[in-house]
Parts: sequence; structure tokens; C-alpha cells
Amino acid sequence: MSGVTKRFGAFTALDSVDLEVQAGAIHAIVGENGAGKTTLMRVLYGALHAEPGGHLEVHGTPATYRTSEGALAAGIGMVSQHYGIIGELTCLQNLIVGAEGGPFLHGAALRDRADGLAKRMGFSFDWNAEASTLSPGSAQKLEILKLLWRNSRIMILDEPTAMLSPADADALFESLHRLASEGATILVVTHRLPEVLLHCQRVTVLRGGKKVADLDVSKTDAAELSRLIVGESLEELPIPVSAATSESALSAVDLTVKGYRGDDAVKGIALHLAAGEVLGIAGVDGNGQRELIQALCGWVPFHGSLKIGSLDASHLSVKERIEAGLRLIPEDRLDEGLVEGWSLEQNAILGLHWMPPFAQKGTLNPEARAGAAEAMARRFNTKFSSLGQAIGGLSGGNQQRFVAGRALSGEPRVILAFQPARGLDLKATREVYQAIREACTGGAAALIVSFDLDELLTHCDRVVAMNRGKLFEPGQEDSRDRDAIGRLMVAT
Amino acid sequence: MPLPIEVLAAATAARAAPLALAALGGYTSERAGVINIGLEGKMLTAACLTAVIGARTGNAMLGLAAGIAAAICLSLFHWLATQTFRVDHVISGMAINAIAFGGVNTIAAKFLDPGATPPRLPDPPFLILAFGLPILVAYGVSRTRAGLRLQAVGSDPEKARLVGLNPVWVRFGGLVLTGVFTGLSGALIFNGVGNLTDTMTAGRGYIALAALILGGWRPIPALLACLLFGFLEALQLVLQGTSIGGVQIPTEAWNALPYLATVVALAGFVGKTRAPAGLGKP
Amino acid sequence: MTFKIAALVLGSLGVLGILLAATGVPVGQALAEVIRASLGSERAISGTLRETTPLLFAGLAVFLALRAGLFNIGVEGQFLVGALACAVVALAVGGPLGIVLGLLAGALGGILWALPTAWIRAYRNGHEVITSIMLNNAAMLFATALVAGPLKAPDQQSPSTAMISAATRLPNLIDQPKLQVNLGLLLGLVVALLLARWLARTVAGYELCAAGANPKAALAAGVEVKPTLLKAMLFSGALAGSGGAVMVLAFEGRFYQGFSSGYGFDGLGVALLAGSNPLGLIPSALLFGILNKGGTAVQFLGVPKGITYVLLGLLIVVVAAIRYRKGGANATAD
Repeated sequence: MSGVTKRFGAFTALDSVDLEVQAGAIHAIVGENGAGKTTLMRVLYGALHAEPGGHLEVHGTPATYRTSEGALAAGIGMVSQHYGIIGELTCLQNLIVGAEGGPFLHGAALRDRADGLAKRMGFSFDWNAEASTLSPGSAQKLEILKLLWRNSRIMILDEPTAMLSPADADALFESLHRLASEGATILVVTHRLPEVLLHCQRVTVLRGGKKVADLDVSKTDAAELSRLIVGESLEELPIPVSAATSESALSAVDLTVKGYRGDDAVKGIALHLAAGEVLGIAGVDGNGQRELIQALCGWVPFHGSLKIGSLDASHLSVKERIEAGLRLIPEDRLDEGLVEGWSLEQNAILGLHWMPPFAQKGTLNPEARAGAAEAMARRFNTKFSSLGQAIGGLSGGNQQRFVAGRALSGEPRVILAFQPARGLDLKATREVYQAIREACTGGAAALIVSFDLDELLTHCDRVVAMNRGKLFEPGQEDSRDRDAIGRLMVAT
Repeated sequence: MPLPIEVLAAATAARAAPLALAALGGYTSERAGVINIGLEGKMLTAACLTAVIGARTGNAMLGLAAGIAAAICLSLFHWLATQTFRVDHVISGMAINAIAFGGVNTIAAKFLDPGATPPRLPDPPFLILAFGLPILVAYGVSRTRAGLRLQAVGSDPEKARLVGLNPVWVRFGGLVLTGVFTGLSGALIFNGVGNLTDTMTAGRGYIALAALILGGWRPIPALLACLLFGFLEALQLVLQGTSIGGVQIPTEAWNALPYLATVVALAGFVGKTRAPAGLGKP
Repeated sequence: MTFKIAALVLGSLGVLGILLAATGVPVGQALAEVIRASLGSERAISGTLRETTPLLFAGLAVFLALRAGLFNIGVEGQFLVGALACAVVALAVGGPLGIVLGLLAGALGGILWALPTAWIRAYRNGHEVITSIMLNNAAMLFATALVAGPLKAPDQQSPSTAMISAATRLPNLIDQPKLQVNLGLLLGLVVALLLARWLARTVAGYELCAAGANPKAALAAGVEVKPTLLKAMLFSGALAGSGGAVMVLAFEGRFYQGFSSGYGFDGLGVALLAGSNPLGLIPSALLFGILNKGGTAVQFLGVPKGITYVLLGLLIVVVAAIRYRKGGANATAD
């Protein structure tokens, strides 16, 4: 493809990008969040329309499709970052939907073909199971089968390993190598450089919507790639110095939380967080991290005991926990942290609104609110036009900056953060982590859940693994060993 | 007074049939993710046009066709409002009910001679449709491409888009079916009442929706729920004028029975059933 | 998109025009009659303001529930039960005390009728629209059974309670032979002002709006969402019931079969047109008052009243479509 430009309103997401991919290769697209990787792939997949003037050729013939349906017909398939698996449908229904092969569904024939494809890839599926029961690894496998089902010759995978354990990620790339050797062309969008260096043949680097490099992987290295990605060289971060004290900030004993399926998602864990400490919880998505955070915040009931500082918090309401200094940077900012249609000002006090200085005796104080909103927005350089503007109009990264600014305002005692860097570029990620660290140096403590082990190792004092509802602490000598913690994340 | 079982059974079937058709109309809409509070309005409009066109042409089949066509038109108005203009589904549904009520009120006053007696179709074919179609639809949804796509779009429109489906057009199909089924339901209601008023449907559209919810958004359980409501309505016919312990029970109390039963049923059961996850999503 | 909205507006006008043309009355004449009958004289204005009063209360009730993310379609039933309860109390207790207790009874009646809907929505996950519509029907039957039976006054021909005494009425603020404005309207205006302030300036109001706009975020922010929804629905019921009580005490002086001409449903339109500010309810209620009063008048020209409902429905869709367009378009990259 050549000369691809895409604008969202006044914002130019892609600026005349050219991309050439060899048939039968595994080609990586790298870049920061917001560099335009996903946008470019979605244009290729027909899910977004580029501005007129661009040109696209598939296997040497000009392509004119304007929809994903057309892209699929041209042999191009895409697996998006959050997967396209529909939870309410069965695995088989998910496999075939959109490419059923006729107006009537012949269960047995469809199942035979599905089994054939699965066998070819070395997978196995219970086709009648509801897809919501699939683990992230299995969902990813099903996605690949979906591409094969549609006879896609060009496969786009957007951050395919974001939700996978290291072992599942390796297995995935093994499958991709097999597909490539059979002649498929594979485009992998990723921000994990080791994957690029280990598994891909070529790499294209995007920055700020422009192509900045197109390299042979064998002729480059991690240092060069990260310099190209960021555009300026970020200094190596020193190994963080822990400010942990002997004072306890948060402690949970024998904490058990029910998951939404009725089984125990968190199984009797003990958790101790010292004041000043930044603790990372690594793990594959769906191992109880979400339920743990919900229980700590007081959204769901739990068994066991919980202390914030020296205060028994086992039976405190959400508000009482916030008053005790508990703050959250939630997983899904639009779902759990913000009201989309409200202004920055209205959102600024959400979760702090009943406490001074924002309210006295049940009456709100608009002046305090306006000042605080301004400060929260400035904290991480949220870009906005006015405090009265609806927060839904900001970009995801700016919303995340605002939410982080809010959680760190005032004097937090315990900061819970679920994927705090979601939607942020490298620079902003560092700023957020630095702010968390500053707060901790001042006596607060932080507990950070992330699916990105490298991010945690870079920024946390201590990293533990969460696996099937339990916490596993690496041994003293392995405390910063990527592979050792990775093994704890998936050990059975 | 002894209750003749046959009388009760026949009355139950007659009362349940329009509900079953309407609930099925609600199903094809809500399964595709479109909340449909406007069943009532579509039924009322269909009943009205069935009467007016039937009376004008003297042909009951033409009346029926006009009724169904009108219901399809309103259904597509809902489609247009919710899919193109992104109007909230509940707001659009209520607006359609208002438009239908006002329109029928106008048409009934202006276009039907007070003395006219519109021709009526025999009931049995309607009953066969009312009790057969849910089974057919249940089969079709699980065994055809169209059915699978309907489910996919209703479960997660965003992800359905990723596999190349266009939710807007899948919903178009679902809502045309809604028009057909509510049209049949309205015509059947007119058949039962025989003269045209703007209160003819008496809230049956909402009861049908409640039946759909009680049935967990599945056609056959929804049919069973309709039979239950039909039975309650039939019961009031039989029980009217009876007294309990010497106290005369007012007619209104029996009339209110199906409504109150719906409230109780919603209070008791809804927590256990599951709505299509994409309900109301763009 | 602007083009699409224009098409929608034109289409709506077209439908309305065709329907009106079909009745054989020229559009201009019908429109002139609506204006004349609702605003053309002091007497007409009095009638319009009288219509506006219950509409304002019904609009307030729907509006408050909407802020909490709830569709209170049950305003009609709550209005009826409130009016009935008020009439019963005002008949039993006369004088100024009767007025106060009557208003209170109206609010309580509304709360009572909203309770099942509120509880089922908040704690049983049952959609409020269906339960409240069922309870509307039940309210109608319940009220009819009472005024046709035990509460029927012997001297009334149709099913109705007796008249409450003149001393138990809300007085007119302006009481001229032609122009009358009742205290009830002022009460409605005051409630609208208080509600606006309550929503904007109190923690409880803020939490109600948060629970309505994003229940998950509200929960995370410490709002107890379920009790908040329950209270919002009951509060809404109280406003609807008060509207019924004001209608009895200010204008009707009794409760009878067919008491409400669909004020509850009109309230829906009033609230949807008002937008997000409670003060918007005032012009919105006035517009509906004009339509109601004028709509009744054009019946004598041969235009059925129903046509105002068609207008109402189309108006709601058009306004909702325009509002989406203004609020939407938040496309962001990645």
C-alpha cells in the first residue's frame, strides 16, 4: 500500500504511509501507542476508509474493497487486540459466522471441516462450548482458525501476545511460523521488541502517523528500534530504589473472592504492602487480578480480613475506604472511572465528591472543583480545550492522564492501579510511574496490576505473579528474573 | 360454577395467540440487539389498517396485507431512528407508540363509517401461525446463516462488524420480521374484537414483551409465557362476577390480574434469565 | 449528518401534513385555531396555564428519573393514585390542613405506586418500563373500581368522588373573571427551581446523576447505586403524585373516572424536550400545554385529537436525533 492518509477530524492519524510486505513473510509493525499502527491495519482490513489518494495492491492487483467483507474476500483477515470472539456464541458459531458457506447450516459437515483445520494446526476445541469460557490463549487460537476458515492469505494480528502468557506467546509464534512456511503472509502489530527480533523477518516502524523506517530484522537491534520508535533516546532507567518502610500500608489475610462464574477467583491469598513500596502483580489476564482489585476497593464482598494502615477495612464501604486513603486507577477508564458525557470539571471530583474541600455538609463547592480539575489535568499534561468540555471528546491517552492525575491528587495512602499505562505512550507511561513513585516516597504505597511483565520489572520495587487465584513470590535470587517470574505466571 | 375445561382451553389459546405473535416480533428485534418497546403501537396500527382497508375493499385478505405493511413501515421507522439517527431505543419505541395511538385515533375517527362492518378472517389459520411460527423461528435461528448472524449482531455488534457483518442491515431483516409478526398479531386482535377503537390492543404489546423477557429471550419459552398470560386473561372471563367469601370481587380486579401477574413475574424471575448482550448498542 | 436530520424533519412534516390534509382541514387554519384557542385571549391563556400545571409536574417526575437513567413510564399511574389519595384525604380533612395533608397524601400515593417498579428495577434487575406500564393499567382499574364503588358520591351521575369544599382548594393567585392563575402553577415552578439547584449543588444530586450516567463509575466512586436508583424512582413517584394532588386541589375539586387525559405520557415528551436542565421543563411544559389546549379546540373543526400525539411522537424522535448529533462524534484514534 502507498500514500495512505487517515484523518479523524483535525487529527491526522496516518500521514501518507507506504508499506510493502513480502508474501510468505512475518512482518512486524512497531511504534508507540497512537503511532497509527492499528489505524493502518484497519485501513488495510477495510474497517476504516483512508482519505482519497492512497493506493493498495494485493498480490500484484489493485484492490478496491471498501469494507471488511471485501477485505476478507480478497484474502485479508485481521485479529484485533481484544479479539473478535463473541462470548454468547459457541466456538463453532464463532468460527463460521460471516463465512457460513450457504444459507443453511449443516452441523456435521461444518464440524468436520473445523476439526480438520484444528488438527492441521495442532489445536483442539469443544465446538459446542460457549466461547465466553475460553482462556485468552484458546481465544487467540480460535481467532487463527477463523482466518484459516476464511482462507485468508494475508493475516493481520494486532498485539496478539498482549493477553498471553510467555509460553502461550511462544506457541502462537510457532503456529505463525508454520503458516508462513505454508505461504501465508503475516503482519504482526506489537510493541514487544524481543518478539520482533526473534520471530519476524522485516519490521516497519511508525511514529506520529508517519513511516520512519523499514528494516530487515537481521540488520537491526533492540537499541536501534527503540530509538526509532521513540524518536529521541530515553535514558536507561536505573533499577528502582525501594522506599519501603517497616510500616504496613495494606495487608490482607486469607482473602477469598468469588468470581462471576461462582467459583473462587481469588483463593485465600495473603498480601502485604509496606508504606513506600511499589508492588507489581504480574500475570496472564483472567487469573483473579480483576476480582482482587474489586475486593480491595469494596465493590464485591470477600472472605478474610483487610487492613488499610492500621485500620480494619474488612467491612468498610467504598466511601470509607476512599476516606482512608485508597485510590484507584481503574482498568477501564470509560467504564469505571469517568462519565463520558460530563465535563472535566464534573469528572474531577468523581470519587472525592463528598469530602472537603469539594463538599461540606452535603453541599458541593464549585470553586474548589474548578481549581482541582485544572490541577489534575495539568499533572500529566492532559490536552483539553476547556474544563467545561465533555471528557468523552478527549483521546484515550488524555483520558488516562486525567484519571491518573485524579487518583494521585490529594494525599493517597494506597494507590491501586490496573494497567495504568493503558493507552499511554512511553513518555507518559514513565511520567505516570514516576508520579506513583513520588507519592510512595512520600509515604504512600502502590499495588500495580499489569499484563506486561517488562513494564512491571522496569518500574516496581517488587514483582509477584498471580496465577489461578493465588500469589507467588519469586525466590530472592529470582526477584527480577523475567523468565523465573514468567514461569510462576503459568505454572500448574 | 364448574369450569368447563374446553371453554377455558379455547379462551386461553385465543388470548395467547396474539401475545405469542407479538412476542415473536419482539424476539426477532431484540435478538438482533434492538430494544422494542413499540410492539404495542405496531399491533394497534396493524389492527386499524386491517379494519379500515378490509372495510373499504370488502376483502379481508387485502386488509390483512395492509395491516402487515403498516406494521413493517413503523418497524422500519424504528430501524431508521435507532440505526441511522442513533435515537435511544426506548425513546424511539415510546414515540412510535404515541404516533400509532394518535394515527389510529385520527384514522378511526375519519375513515371508518360508524356503521361499517369490516370483513373478518377465520381464526384457526392465525392460531396455527401463532403456535407454529415460534417453533419455526427457533429452528431457523439455530440452523440458518441468517439466524446465526442475527444472534451475532445482537450479542456484540462491534465484534460482528469485525467478521464482516453489517449490523445495520442484519437488524433491518430482523425488524421487517418484527413488522410481519406484529402485523399478524394486530390483525388477529382486530378479528377478536370486531370493531375498531384506539384502545383495542389494551397493552398487549407490553405483556408480550414481558413474556419475551420471562422466556429469557428464547422463542419457545416465550411462547409458554404467552400461554400463561393467556390463561390468566381467560381465567378472568370465567371468574368474573364470582364472589369470594360473600364479597363481590369487582370486575376491575380480575381485569388487573394479568398486569399484576406480569409485575410479580418480573420481580421473581428476570434475575435468572439473560438478555442479548448487545441490546441497545449501536 | 445535517442532511440526514433535515431529511428527518422534512419527512416528519410530510407525514403530519398528509395526515392533516386527509382530515380535510387546511393546515394554516388548524394552526391558527391552535394559537387562537391557547393564546388568543385571557380565557384561553388561563386554560393553557391550567393544562401546563399538571404537565410541569409530570415532566419533573419523568425528568428526575431520567437523570438517574430510569424511564419512569409509570408517571400516569402515580399521578392517578396521588390524585385519588389526595381527594380522599381532602374530603376527610377540610380547610388549610386538608390542603397540606392532601398534598402529602398525593406524594405518598405516588411513592406507593412507584415502589414496586423502583424495587424491581434496583434489586431484581427487571426493566422499569414494563413494570410501570403494567402498574399504569392496574392504577386505572384500581381507581375506576374505587370511584365507581365505595368512593362514589351519591349525588354524582358518573363515577366520581364528592366535591371537596371551597376552603380546601389551592387559591388562585390571579383571580379575575377571565384570567386565572393558580398557586399550583407557582408550586410547580418553585419545585423546578429547587430541583435544578439540588441536582447541581448537592452531593445527593451529584450522586444521582452519576448513578444514571455511568453506574459502574458511580459504584467505583463510592455511590451506593441500587439505593440511589430506588430513591430516585420514589422521588419521581412523589413528584407525579403531587401533580395529581395539585390537579385535584387547584382545578378539579374531585377525583373521577378518566381523571387524567394522559398527562403522564405527555410528561415523557415534556422531559425529553427539556434537555438536561430542569428549567428547560418550564417552556417545554408550556408548549405541551398549548398543544393540549389547542388540540382540543381543533376537534371542533374536525381534526381528531389524536393528531397531537402523532406530532408529539415525531417531535420526540427529531429532538432525540438532533441531540445525539450534538453530543456524538467523539471519534478518537487507536
